[in-house]
Amino acid sequence: MPSPIRILTAVPICDGHDSAINTINLEFIRHGIEVIYLGYHRSVADIVRAAIQEDVRAIGISSYNGGHIEFFAAVVDLLRKKGADDIKVFGGGGGTITHDDAATMRRRGVDEIFFAGTSLDDMVKFVHRRYAKPRTKRPRPKSSDQELAHELSEIEEAYGIGNRKRRTPKVKIANRKTQIANATVIGFTGPGGAGKTTLIDELVLRYLNQNPKGRIAILSHDPSVVGKGALLGDRATMINSQDDRVFMRSMATRGQAGGLSPATQDCLALLARSNFDYVIIETVGTGQEAMPFQKNGIVASTVLVMNPDYGSRLQLQKIVMLDLADIVVVNKSDLQRARTAHSEIEQRLEQNRRQQQLVDTVAKRHRDSGVDRLFELISKRIR
Amino acid sequence: MSKLGQVVESVEKYNKFVLDQVKRARTDQKFGRDLLGRWNDTKAKIPVTRTPTGLPLPRLALPEIDEPGEIARFIFGEGFPGEFPYLNATYREMYLEPVRETESFEKNGNKTGKKITQPEEPTRLFSGLMLAEDTNERFHYLTRHQRTHRLSTAFDGPTLYGLDSDADGVFGKIGEGGVAIDTVEDMVRLYDGFDLGSPNFSASMTISGPAPMIMAMYIAAAKRRFGPKVVPKLRGTVQADIFKEVQAQNETIFPIEPSLRFLTDMVEFTTGEMPRWYPISISGYHIGEAGSTPVQQAAYTLSNGFAYAEMFAARGIPVDQFGPRLSFFFDCGLDAEYIALSRVSRRIWAIGMRDVFGAGPRAQLCKLHTQTSGRSLIAAEFKNNLTRTATELILSYMNATNSCHSNSADEPFTTPSEEWIRLAAHGQAILLEESGIFKHTMNMLSGSPGMKAVERAVETAILEEFREIERLGGVLAAVEERYQRSQIQNAAHKYEQQIYDGTRPIIGLNKYRDGNDDAPEVKLARTPRAKQQLQVDRLRKFKKKNADKANRALDKLAATAERSENVFPVLLEAAEVCSLGQITGRLQEVVGRFRPMV
Repeated sequence: MPSPIRILTAVPICDGHDSAINTINLEFIRHGIEVIYLGYHRSVADIVRAAIQEDVRAIGISSYNGGHIEFFAAVVDLLRKKGADDIKVFGGGGGTITHDDAATMRRRGVDEIFFAGTSLDDMVKFVHRRYAKPRTKRPRPKSSDQELAHELSEIEEAYGIGNRKRRTPKVKIANRKTQIANATVIGFTGPGGAGKTTLIDELVLRYLNQNPKGRIAILSHDPSVVGKGALLGDRATMINSQDDRVFMRSMATRGQAGGLSPATQDCLALLARSNFDYVIIETVGTGQEAMPFQKNGIVASTVLVMNPDYGSRLQLQKIVMLDLADIVVVNKSDLQRARTAHSEIEQRLEQNRRQQQLVDTVAKRHRDSGVDRLFELISKRIR
Repeated sequence: MSKLGQVVESVEKYNKFVLDQVKRARTDQKFGRDLLGRWNDTKAKIPVTRTPTGLPLPRLALPEIDEPGEIARFIFGEGFPGEFPYLNATYREMYLEPVRETESFEKNGNKTGKKITQPEEPTRLFSGLMLAEDTNERFHYLTRHQRTHRLSTAFDGPTLYGLDSDADGVFGKIGEGGVAIDTVEDMVRLYDGFDLGSPNFSASMTISGPAPMIMAMYIAAAKRRFGPKVVPKLRGTVQADIFKEVQAQNETIFPIEPSLRFLTDMVEFTTGEMPRWYPISISGYHIGEAGSTPVQQAAYTLSNGFAYAEMFAARGIPVDQFGPRLSFFFDCGLDAEYIALSRVSRRIWAIGMRDVFGAGPRAQLCKLHTQTSGRSLIAAEFKNNLTRTATELILSYMNATNSCHSNSADEPFTTPSEEWIRLAAHGQAILLEESGIFKHTMNMLSGSPGMKAVERAVETAILEEFREIERLGGVLAAVEERYQRSQIQNAAHKYEQQIYDGTRPIIGLNKYRDGNDDAPEVKLARTPRAKQQLQVDRLRKFKKKNADKANRALDKLAATAERSENVFPVLLEAAEVCSLGQITGRLQEVVGRFRPMV
């Protein structure tokens, strides 16, 4: 099967009307489209950066708070400036965008504007009709980020859906075992709802503040809905990672179990030798038996993020990653059960007789001292 | 158990108390006789008014019952208007026209005429467009025929997000969908010509994330014009509802905990120093507009309210100080629940505040502003929106709302234009002044068997939602787990599906559509580029002029926030010399930015 269409959706800056886009996202996903959702109140720069890094086919913008003519045009112009005008722009705004506005917007390079009353079905059909054809000739990349994004697409598309690689991508990742990775790869895994995404974003903030020139890459995963598309929503909550020094790529698992995508290993290998100081890989929310990172693989350090509400102590015995992770984090340590969780996990780790570290964090809290400690621990391990 | 769990218990207990009273009235003869006596006394004292056609009508209509059990059910279960548990109304009389000639049947049969003072008009129209001076002009236009000036202010996107008009990427959004406010100077322009300290003036400001900063600017502007003595006289409302922003409207700028802290700082200040100000409007409107069911709207709004009450009480503010300064804001759409949604909400609030928080009578009132549903208005054959809004207005007043905004029919397209605003305002005047539905008699439409059925069903459903939130650990815990958000999103999705599959008829859209879908000739209110540039230029001049003072004020503000002390008094100083964006930026350095929930 061919790769699903990847599109990015967002709501413009100073606009929190996300009711329509939430409904549209769900409908797209049900019809096999992978949606990278950037959230509401997003600037032109954030949208264009994300679209280029994610190398989507098109950007869908839902605007209800006015200023749409300027905003849509600014997105189109910036894409053009960045040499990414093969990424198309469409959108809507119920009754706030008039037919005259839409005509102006089309003249300024917007593909399509949907008016109030357009059925969800028509929007889905539009995306399939307009953006399904493979892009054969790509424009010459204008930046290294754009080049990287194109290469990642090539790898991902080569896999299509399913486990086996169907065609060899032009990108050379051959012989990657001997490749000397110049970036340090850190793997984050853990059950859904533990706060992995927030935690990573807080670590990124600390990294950016401490290293004024450093660059970081994030490979983030979200599950594909069985036989359908996927909602890749991590970017929406990662407010600090929307930065020119952060290259972020969202991947859907596309039918593979275990928390990663069939194309992950190849993509990771490419990122690791692409001039970043760190590459962070985040799995989807995993189950007890998951061990997503290969032994002696490219991932240098692994962090398991736990929620204090894992159930009884017995459950801990079944979590395989507790044996493998280098660092275990009890996030949401402001919850009542956190102290018990800490001591139960501590005892569980002692059985392993390895130098595993245990950290308590409250990632949602600004400048949390636990996250500071985790940041230090990771930095030290790497050094 | 959180306070919300206790509220559920208190309502259940109260309902049982009502049943006990009914039983007692039927078995305890003396009790029954006393009730009957009180009932007949009350009825006898109700003044009679005459309609223009000469029909005599009582100013308060009561059920025609003479059996003590049923009387007990009314008195305890519903209460007379203005009496606990306030099902019928917060006040004894609302909307009634002043008495020209009243007759009252007192025991001696003498006629007595009693002058009743003219009440405030319940009409409150929402407005905000372009720059402060443009909105000011609109305010004067809207209030030119009104005795009392009740302004309601909409802010533009950058202001709602605490950004300055010269912030990156917001050009184009300046003055769109509301007025652009960056500094105290804009605030002075916004209400120019109105007497802010007058008892006939009140200002409402629809803003939540940056509410403490905007409030500080309002106070600063009032002081500039009328001196420091005006502060305790200021009347109005600032929305400041953080919970509903996180649950539905997405205009939050700090993380939840510091947002709530700054809110409490403001409430502590205003309830102490500005006894006539409402520092929070607990809003279901945006929850409804984001797609919730009516029951979800009421349940989340009331539970948010109880969570605020718990928080303010924990700060040490006495319940009888902050309780009377809480107000509510509901959405009114066309679903059957709206026949009694606010009535039931008022009752639950009163019982919870009295029995869980120990509130006195003034702190038990769920005083509410209602706005007709914007979501119910559609672009196709948009003139039908007049009928939708008119129907919603009747429902709103049947619920005895304390004030009301009627939407303009052109709302699906733009900030309403004067023509349609006029029709919307006149819609209320026709209902309240021209028609005889509300001006002669309180309870004109209350208490029908259908309304009672809706009341029972809605109350049961609201309490069930409370229980679910309680199971999740209370309002804050549920918010952090995004419970309310996903419930609202699911309801919105279902609503859309119902429109597409036709099970929810929308006339002119999925039913009786004649294909004539031309965009109407509405005059669009767009902010010209030159005006946007003017705002940016004024702001830059202000910043340059105040640069040194602003830095000092911001340092002091940051230090205060760092120590977790009440920031509001320091905000008042900062508002004199800092722009909104400067304050937001500096506070975000200390407490962080809001991380959106999807």
